[in-house]
Parts: sequence; structure tokens; C-alpha cells
Amino acid sequence: MATCTGCSLLCEDIEAIVTDGGLSHVKNLCRKGHGHFQAVFTERTEPSIDGQKVDLEKAILAAAEILKNAKRPLLYGWSNSTLEAQAAGIRLAEKIGATIDDTSSFCQGLLMERIIAGTIPTCTLDDVRNFADTSIFWGSDPSNSHPRHLSRFSYYPRGDKRQKSYEEERTCIAVDVRKSATAQLCSNYYFRLAPGGDAEFMEAIISVLDGKIPKVADKKKMIELGTLLKKTEYGVIFPGLGMVYSMQDRMDLFERLMARLNEITTFRAIPMVGHYNMRGFNELLREKTGFINRVSFKGGAAAHGPENSVLSAAKSCDAALVIGSDPLSSLPFGTARALSKKPIIAIDPRRSLTTDAAKVVIPSALSGMEAGGTAVRMDGVKIRFEPIIESKRPTDEEILTRIMEAI
Amino acid sequence: MPEEVEVTIVTVRDIFQDEAAKKSRFSLEYEKLSALIVLDKQDMARLAVKDGQKLLVKNDAGSVIIAVKTSADEAHPGLAFMNNSPWSNQLVADSVGECSIPGFKSIKAKLARMEETANVTPITELFSRMKG
Ligand code: SF4
Repeated sequence: MATCTGCSLLCEDIEAIVTDGGLSHVKNLCRKGHGHFQAVFTERTEPSIDGQKVDLEKAILAAAEILKNAKRPLLYGWSNSTLEAQAAGIRLAEKIGATIDDTSSFCQGLLMERIIAGTIPTCTLDDVRNFADTSIFWGSDPSNSHPRHLSRFSYYPRGDKRQKSYEEERTCIAVDVRKSATAQLCSNYYFRLAPGGDAEFMEAIISVLDGKIPKVADKKKMIELGTLLKKTEYGVIFPGLGMVYSMQDRMDLFERLMARLNEITTFRAIPMVGHYNMRGFNELLREKTGFINRVSFKGGAAAHGPENSVLSAAKSCDAALVIGSDPLSSLPFGTARALSKKPIIAIDPRRSLTTDAAKVVIPSALSGMEAGGTAVRMDGVKIRFEPIIESKRPTDEEILTRIMEAI
Repeated sequence: MPEEVEVTIVTVRDIFQDEAAKKSRFSLEYEKLSALIVLDKQDMARLAVKDGQKLLVKNDAGSVIIAVKTSADEAHPGLAFMNNSPWSNQLVADSVGECSIPGFKSIKAKLARMEETANVTPITELFSRMKG
């Protein structure tokens, strides 16, 4: 059995035979996971400096040299690396007084912070499968982003207490600005929001739970929702980026909604984390520093703040190590442009805009397929996996350790 | 005379585009699924465009030429959707609020119809703009 690192569900039941000729005898991979496994064969990186192929050792020494000479280095990425590599990365950041940040900084970080701190109650996906009778996909669309979420955990499976499952015992609700693929499944309980309308919708739910008339156009539908939530035995909200981006500094309101729901029944939240080990990085860094992301070790002690977010540090750094991430594709153009002008060390199994712009490229083994390790699923469960293919490429952890030794 | 139309673009995820990205960000398949904007019927009519035609999408952050597709959803004039990609990120402003989160899902942009022969902005062009 293999583990798929294509998303933060970390499906552990994958069967596949990988040979030079391609993938065969594949079982249980979703379309996205299949693409992820096929990545073994496409766009692989080679060690290079300034676009010229070099041997691995030379690339590692060049990376060490850049970091040694940098006054404001940024270490960014991490969400697609194992816990072992992340720990090595945090040690490197401490050693060289770097700023370290991950993709959660402009993704699920705002919510994850509260989940890890325990101010928003959460549960495991196994609890969802076994107990949940109401799943709310809020600004999330697992049919596209986490394709096996509904079949493994939140809607279709028969769990300990949910033997009659979706036919009789499970209800799914979608709250979104568009009728996404997931919303089409929840058609009886689809609530269309205007962009940015999430806070108002939360307030309306709290009103109906309090027995007040909600301030929304469709009062009847809202009251029906209130009744359904009150009757729920074990409910779970799966917030996606749609909700997180809309709420931002009003996340207290979500905390209030969760608290109110839990006065009536059991409600949990699991953020729909995209990258396979974003949560792992957040937990590790928090253990070490008290903060889940946006940390600077300049001067020795860990400092936290927006100036250490990749959005700012991409502009203020004088060198960047980017690992398992493609910020030049995923950041706003102006920020990506600023970062592309810095000396970048890209550690990546595959070609991307970032590796194309990098001064030094260090190829790494693909986690899950060519490299083993440990990762934390979106719900906080630790998953250990072994490689299924032998590879000469070093793991992220090995590369970071060698850079550190060279420094 | 086709109008210039102003919309708010919400970026979304798509399993087919994700799969294409995992195989290669430099493929035509990825370009086809990324350099694409989904519009409401009314907005399509105001722009006098059909599926597959090209639009210039621009705002203060940047501009891209991308293909257009009619939405299958209920009416949502003024609201457009794009799969999250380097094309949508060309249009995301750099400035951020208190939480340091860019407006990936609330991009205000103007749309204008391009001539029939126009091509979508290739990823190589997006890269040159970055490095240039
Ligand atoms: S749902 Fe995610 S982890 Fe599971 S097979 Fe698909 S991509 Fe891989």
C-alpha cells in the first residue's frame, strides 16, 4: 500500500505499480492523486546553478554559500515536505537567523491557529465517518479540492454510528458563492452567499439558534437550517478558503458560532487544508516558537508578525530558499516579481516557474512515492509512509542537513 | 457595440486543472484550464462573445488575455470565476489588509472583447513579465 501526498487527506490505501513505463494496476487514487503519481515521470528537475547543469554537491555548496552570505534570508514553502524535513528547516532557520514561513500564511493559517490552540473544537476525520450526521461545506468544494473526502469520510461511508449513511442518516449542506460540484450534491441545503457575505450569514445562524428572526432575504430557509442544526447529533463544518478569505479579522465570529452550536449539540470544525503537510509545519513551528507561521529568528529569539509573512519577506529578503512550493505561480504578481529578482534556491522534485527563476536548483525525491516520512493529515492525525519506488534523488531532509553542514 | 464589463472575479479550484498542474504547469492542457474565465450569460451578451472567444482582463495589478466560457450556474451577473493560477494572480493586487491576505477571491477587473485572432497570454509571457 502507498500513501498519496496529493492533498491533505493523505489516503493510505493506494495500490499502484510504478515502472519506467508508467503507472499500472492503480487502485483508489482519485483523478488528482493519479496526476500526482504521474508527476514521477514528468518535468523532473536536475541540479543547476544559473540554469547550467551541475552535480548535486556543487548545487548544495552554492546554496550554502548564498545562505551564509545573506543578511535577511527567507525560508519558504514547507507544506509539501515531511515533518522530518520541516524540523530540519526550522533548525536551519534558527542557525542562520532566517525568516521562516509556509503557505498557511496566506491560506488556512488564520483558522488553523485557532484549531491548534483549541479555541475552535475539532475532531478527526475518523470521528466524522463514525459519528457525523451533518457535514457543512462552507466555502469549500471537496469534490474538486479533496476528491475522496466525501467517499472516505464525510458523506458516503458507513461508520460505526452511521450504518445508514447518506441514504438516511447523513445530511450535507453547502454554503458558497457558486453552486460548486459539492453544492450540487447538497442541493436541498445549498445556501448561496454574495462574495464576502459569510459574516452576515454566521450572524443569521446565531440569530435563528437564539430563536430570533434572522436578517436575511429567505427567512424560511434560514429557520429550516436552524432547526436542522439543532436536531443534529454530531455536526462538522469544513471551512475552505472561501470562508477564511471572507472572514479574515472577523474569525472571532466563527468561534462564537461554534460555541453557540456546542451549547445545543456537538459541532466540530476541520479546515480544508490543501497541501499534504501544512498542518504538520504549523504544529511543529508552534511547538518550537509558540507561532504557527511568520517567524523570524533574526537576533536569535523567535519573533512573529506580518513583516515575516512571505508576502512581505519576499520583498525584504536578500535570498530565499524555497522548498516544495511554487510561489512564483501562487503569489500575487507584484510579490512574485519581487521574489523572482532575489537569489532563489529551489528544492523541488519538479520544474515550476520558481525553479525556472532560481539561481540554484536542487532536485529532491517525491514524498510518498520516492521518499518516506511522517506528515499530519488535515485533522491532526499523524501518518507515517514508506516510499514505493527506489530513487537516487535525496530527500528534502537530507538536502537540508547537507546544506546545514556546508554552512 | 460591445461594452466593457466590470466584474468581481472569484478564484476557485478545479480537479481537472489540479491534475494538469500536477503533470506539468507548462502544458497546453494546464493553460487551457487556467487561462479561462467563466461568465454569466448576461455578461457574455453585454460583451457580445461566445464560448472560446478571448477577452482582455485588466485592472491596476495587471492584465491577461484569456478565453471565456458561459457559466452553467444560476444567474450571477457581475460575478466571474477563474481557476486559481498564475493567470489569475496577474490580477491580484499586492496590497494586503490587516491579516496580510491578498484578495485572491475578490478581484475587481474590467473585461473587453479581443479580436478573433487573439491568443491567450502564454505562461512564458507571464514568466518574462516577472523577470523583465
Ligand atoms: S483525495 Fe487527496 S490524498 Fe486521496 S487520492 Fe486524492 S489527491 Fe490523493
